[in-house]
Amino acid sequence: MLEVKGLSKSYAGESALSDVSFTLNRGEVVALLGANGSGKTTTIQSICRLIEWDQGQISLDGESTQTSFRYQRKIGAVLGGSRNTNWRLTAKQNADYFARLRGFSGTEIRTRIDELHTKLGLDQHANKEVMKLSTGNKQKAALLCALSYAPDFVLLDEPTLGLDFTTVADLQSMIESQADQQQQGFLITSHDLNFIDKICSRVIVLDHGNLLFEGSIPELKSKLFAYELTLKLTHDTDYSKLTESFWAGRFSKSVKDGHLHIQYEAPEQSLAMMNYLHQESISPELLTIKPLSAETAYQALVEQKESL
Amino acid sequence: MSMQLVTNEFRLQWYEMRQYWFETVTGLLFVSAIFIGLFYGVKGFVVEQDESTSLDGLLFGYIMWNFAIGAYGSVTKSLIEDTQKGFIEQLFLCPNGFVTLLLCRSLVETLVGIITVTLMAYIAMFFTGNWLDINFFQFYSILLLAAPSLVGFGLMISGLALIFKRVETIGAMLTLGLMGLVALDGLPFNLFSLLPFVAGSSLARDLVLAEQAFVLGDLLIVVGNSAIYLALGIVFFKFCERHAKRRNLIGQY
Repeated sequence: MLEVKGLSKSYAGESALSDVSFTLNRGEVVALLGANGSGKTTTIQSICRLIEWDQGQISLDGESTQTSFRYQRKIGAVLGGSRNTNWRLTAKQNADYFARLRGFSGTEIRTRIDELHTKLGLDQHANKEVMKLSTGNKQKAALLCALSYAPDFVLLDEPTLGLDFTTVADLQSMIESQADQQQQGFLITSHDLNFIDKICSRVIVLDHGNLLFEGSIPELKSKLFAYELTLKLTHDTDYSKLTESFWAGRFSKSVKDGHLHIQYEAPEQSLAMMNYLHQESISPELLTIKPLSAETAYQALVEQKESL
Repeated sequence: MSMQLVTNEFRLQWYEMRQYWFETVTGLLFVSAIFIGLFYGVKGFVVEQDESTSLDGLLFGYIMWNFAIGAYGSVTKSLIEDTQKGFIEQLFLCPNGFVTLLLCRSLVETLVGIITVTLMAYIAMFFTGNWLDINFFQFYSILLLAAPSLVGFGLMISGLALIFKRVETIGAMLTLGLMGLVALDGLPFNLFSLLPFVAGSSLARDLVLAEQAFVLGDLLIVVGNSAIYLALGIVFFKFCERHAKRRNLIGQY
């Protein structure tokens, strides 16, 4: 088990991570969600010991990562910004090099690299150096390197960035099969909630370095708003009267450029206000109701932290 | 140092040399051209001055300078280029530690450099008919003993590169400075002996070129100089590494 306990890190007095704790088990796929600057990459880099943190403990199977570098044989990482492979080598040469760098070699590793290479659809690019591959294939080459020596835990920092739908689907199926068949644990940072939704069993939400939420996808979803109502009235109306009197249950309101925005959970929550507008014969200049995308709903959730 | 890391670095060198065969061939032709140029051009000049042994001395100096640049550059070049190639962070995930990896890489690059230069020297000697009177085995044995001082020095500069990133100017100055280090006389012990590699190049010159008698004390000065600079280099690099990790500077270039 990979365990992060009370991790804190600050740069020039500004907190990047504050008392973050979570665990990752073998065979589990966990998402690390958060906006830019929320501390996701700092967390991944701390696990890799690419940065030194101020307080807390990271351990692998009970052994602190600070006592020895040997634990890195059990870790595979695809770091953000395509900074993972030697661009002058082919994907297979890279995988071979990085597996040996971790101390793994032999027929078993070579067979594994061949299999993964085929599975990732890289065979048709076998003779191309990584620099000549597309962004998606570069990402696949990085994944090939990270998986080549079958590490127990794989850290993926923004793996879907810049990838098309097909490549994201390939990536998703690869992660699922590795977690299921090889019992590898995956920690994935991403902005792509749809991707996360499909493969992760657990979600950790970070905001400005603080752990905001940890739980299952259904638990997270239960906290997300499902709809957004936008209303603009033709004359000066006190929007606060509308929201205070006619809205019940969990919702969030904001007024921007003369428009009232209300995010809420269930369709029936809006009926009371609609009824009032109808009875008072108030004609709105604009009235829309739309279902919220997972992405927008998640952003709304982060904005009103107290509801978590 | 891990044998597996050393063989892995040899493999990496082979991959790159094979993949970029044109670059490899032109590099080898360049070294050969320098040797042939020295044989013909400079020989003509020194023979006019009736200094028949000067050619050996000149080529000896060139090989030593080339070796020094290789040993020093194997560490700094590696750190800067791998950052630019985009995978330095992955090298920091080496279970043996990044410094061990750099030392293995340095050993491999130095050995490959020795083999290449010697091979090209012999090819040039064959084509020009000018055979150098140098015992290469003895020569390189001494230089390999002295090389850790330059590797240590390279580690110090690499440590600065981790933090300040742009250190090419220092590197260029040191490349020229190495000419001075190779030319200085550090034996018997004097102030110059405290500089990296000076005692080693002096010992090589005394034993191989001047064919003077072996003095154990001189060898101990070379070994001591190497050990001290290497240790200082490792300590300084680790200090810079910790500093870079505290400020999240690894890989940012």
